[in-house]
Formats: sequence, structure tokens, C-alpha cells
Amino acid sequence: MEQTELVKPETLDELIKTLHQIFQSDRINVEEVQNLMESYESKPHEWRKYAKFDQYRYTRNLVDEGNDKFNLMILCWGEGHGSSIHDHTNSHCFMKLLQGHLKETLFQWPDGKSQGDMVTKSQRVLQENKVAYINDSIGLHRVENVSHTECAVSLHLYSPPFETCQTFDQRTGHKNTVKMTFWSKHGERTPFETTVSQENN
Amino acid sequence: MDVSNCVLDFSRLSLNTLSLDGVSEDRRRDTKQFYLNYNRLSTLPASISLFYNLEFLDISNNGLTAICDDITRLTKLKTLLAKNNRLDEFSLPKDFGSLPLEVLNFSGNRFEEIPLQCTKLRRLQSLSIGGNRLKSIPTEIEDLTSLEMLYLGGNLISAIPPEVANLPYLSYLVLCDNRIQSVPPFSVTIAQILSLVHLQELSLRGNPLVVRFVKEMTYNPPSLLELAGRTVKSRNIPYSPCELPSNLVLYLDLASKCPNPKCAGVYFDSCVRHIKFVDFCGKYRLPLMHYLCSPECRSPCSSNPQSDAESEDENSVPADRLQRVLLG
Repeated sequence: MEQTELVKPETLDELIKTLHQIFQSDRINVEEVQNLMESYESKPHEWRKYAKFDQYRYTRNLVDEGNDKFNLMILCWGEGHGSSIHDHTNSHCFMKLLQGHLKETLFQWPDGKSQGDMVTKSQRVLQENKVAYINDSIGLHRVENVSHTECAVSLHLYSPPFETCQTFDQRTGHKNTVKMTFWSKHGERTPFETTVSQENN
Repeated sequence: MDVSNCVLDFSRLSLNTLSLDGVSEDRRRDTKQFYLNYNRLSTLPASISLFYNLEFLDISNNGLTAICDDITRLTKLKTLLAKNNRLDEFSLPKDFGSLPLEVLNFSGNRFEEIPLQCTKLRRLQSLSIGGNRLKSIPTEIEDLTSLEMLYLGGNLISAIPPEVANLPYLSYLVLCDNRIQSVPPFSVTIAQILSLVHLQELSLRGNPLVVRFVKEMTYNPPSLLELAGRTVKSRNIPYSPCELPSNLVLYLDLASKCPNPKCAGVYFDSCVRHIKFVDFCGKYRLPLMHYLCSPECRSPCSSNPQSDAESEDENSVPADRLQRVLLG
């Protein structure tokens, strides 16, 4: 298994190029991807065109389709915006803070028998430029911008790409499959046909 | 006219005063958007009024303790962003309410009350006073008849006045991280708020609520009149003004059809608001405009939260009839 020597990407485009190289291989070295993404220092002018906010909920803005090996997207979180508790459909998920802060709460998978509130495992606030990693074997999470005054922007990489995931009711553990949608692709707003059960994940 | 003349960016310049010597007369006339955020202004200087065509002003992230009276001379100002300053309810000019503002953001300041001047902004569509020290919402909030978005998260609010339910266009109400408890008037107020036709999102997370408040909402059994009316309509018994008094004809004509596709029933005044909790984007979805003719009736959204057919059923309810309520 080859490991690409870590050269710090100076720009977002360089990061994307290096990601394409790494993901040519079928095996992913989680630490390598995490270090690479963390070493890119966020420069707002490089990603500003993808950072489209919605007043009422967070948005997913596709940046790169990764040769179908991964999807790279930018999520924009207004004040108080948060996600549901969700899984990652057997994929790797990397999340880097480009601006602001996000709170990540980890949950245990609900087991078939238990009713009542889902169990929290841990909670942390991610700082700018840091990268968090999760997959289904680690657990489920909820991500929120808890600031009432600042928005947050995060860069997400999912491999392999996925279009649906499960969302969970914190108070009962019941799950729901939802289709995920993009607010924009490659910097262009992409309105879709209205569906009710959609999650901007 | 060069479009870039419309935007003046003085952000992040460590300014402690505003000197307009370098700004030509033309520029003062043409500027529509002025960015003064991330500086060190402690007051908004009167010279701001020289930009008489200004529509958008961002003075966030300064050390502002007051906003000058002259701001009211900006008769075209639609957006004012003043987040993260040191403003309180004494910082605003008396005639602040005369501005034609549509968007106002005072998040991250020191307001303990929403100043009355703010409630006079008739054209205001979006009001954000998150992360302040508000203890209450004034009843005059109902005067903001254009309001669509109200963000009051992160304050010390202990009760919601029923007047909030009088805002006809309110779509998005955020009251997360406050001190709201579900004492008896609360569920009535929430029921009224949730009846707002346009309301789509309501956030109440981080409040010391008793979460199951909606179970208090009672079902009033139908009256004899209603039962008779239901029978007439559901069995298609013909009726006409020569047979019945006009008030009864009118009553029968007002029957509403039960949205359950499998139920041909109707209801008049007595109906059940179907409530279902689904965690969605961190918010619980509440199809509250979803009335059923009886508690036994099954909604198009399955009333059984354990049903796996949930997500399919939800697709049959139009998106504009669903509301999202975020609870603690």
C-alpha cells in the first residue's frame, strides 16, 4: 500500500488534486487523509463561491465529485443550524472546519430492544482547520453550530459517495431513511424538485 | 455606472473613527452597500448620513455602545447588521423605528429588552437578537406585521407572549437556549403559534421544557350538531335551503374533508390535530395543520411512530403543510 508523501497543499485546488491522487488506490489510509485535510489552511477567498447560506437550515454545496471515489462538499451553517443524528451508510466521513466552530455529539447505535432516549457517548467543539473523522463502526453523530452570532463553514469528504442515510429520533431511537440533496454544485445553485423527507447531510 | 462603486468595503481596517475625506461626492451618492465590520468604532459617527442612498450597512464586530441619531437620515436603509458590539436598549435613537429596515441583526450585544423603537419597523422581515440578555419579548412584537424570521436564541427569555401568534407571516421562530418553561399558559401559546399558516420552523431546544407538552392538547368530542352534520355529508344525504334553515345549510357547506385518504369522513369544528415527532435536521417535524376527523382515524402520516412506512407516507403530505418544531 503506497503512501503519498505529505506535501502541504497551499490552495484548495492543490488539496483536491492530492485527494484525487490518494483516492486512485482502493485502500484508504484514514490518518493520511485526515492529516492532508488538516494541513490545508483555510483561505476564505478560495471557497467563498461554494459558501451559499440558507436562512432556515444548513446547506450542502458540492465541490468535487472525486472520480466517483469520493464526494467533497462544503456545508454552510447559519446561527443555530444543526443536523439530525445520522449515520454514514458504511462510508468514511471527514469533516474540516473552514470557519467558525461546530459541536459534534456522538451517539451509540440504538439497540433493537431499548426504548427511550439515545445514549450520548461524547461531545466536543471542533476548532477552525481541525478535521474530525467518523464511520458507522464508531457511531452516529449530530453536528450543530451552537453560535447565535457566527456562521460556520465546513469541508466534508465522504468515501465512497452516498445519497441516502438514516436519521434517528433522539428520544426514541427510531430511524428514518432520508435522501440527501445539494443546495449547489460547483458553485451553481441547484434547486431540486421539492421532496419532504430530505436531509442536508 | 460602474457597479463596484455601489460597494464600499472599509472592513478590517482597525478604524477608530470614520474619515470620509478620501471619499468623493460621487462615491457618497452611489454607495449602496457599506462594510464597516471588524473595526474599532465605539460610536457610529454622524458622517454616515452622507451616504444618503445607502441600503445595506454592516457595522458588526466593533465596540459600538451607541448608534447616532443621524442614522435615521438614511431613508433607504434596508439592512442593518450590528452583531457583536456593546449595544443595549438605550443605544438607539428615538426615531430608529422610522427606518425602512427589512433586515436587522443585533445578535451578540447587551440588550436586556427589545427596544420599543424596534417594534415600530413596519417593513421588518428578519429580526435577530440572538446571544443577548433578553428576559422577555414585548407584547408590541405583534406590530411587526411583516416579520418572517425571528431569531431570539441564547437569551434569558422565560415566557412567550401570545402576541407572537399574531405575526401573520412568521415562518421561522428560534427560541433555543432560553429559560422557557412549560407552565400552563405555555401550551396554549404554542398551539396558537403553531396555527400560524406560514410557520415552518420553530426551535425550542435548550429550554427547561417538559417535553411532552403536546400531550396536553385535548380532543373535544364532537357535538350532536356535528355528528349529525357528519352523517349528512358522509352519506351524501341531499339537502337544500327549502328544507333546512339557512344557518344549517351554511354549516353543512363548511364541512372539511379528512385528509386521511382512506377515510371519506368530514369534520366541522371538532377535529384532532395529528402530531408526529420525527427528528429531522435536529428538529421535530409537526404536521400540525393536519386535522383528522377522529382520534381513531389514521393520518396519511402514520400515527404510529414505529411504522417503517413513515417516510413513504410523509411524501403524500404537501411540504407546505408540514411544520418543524425543535424541542428540548
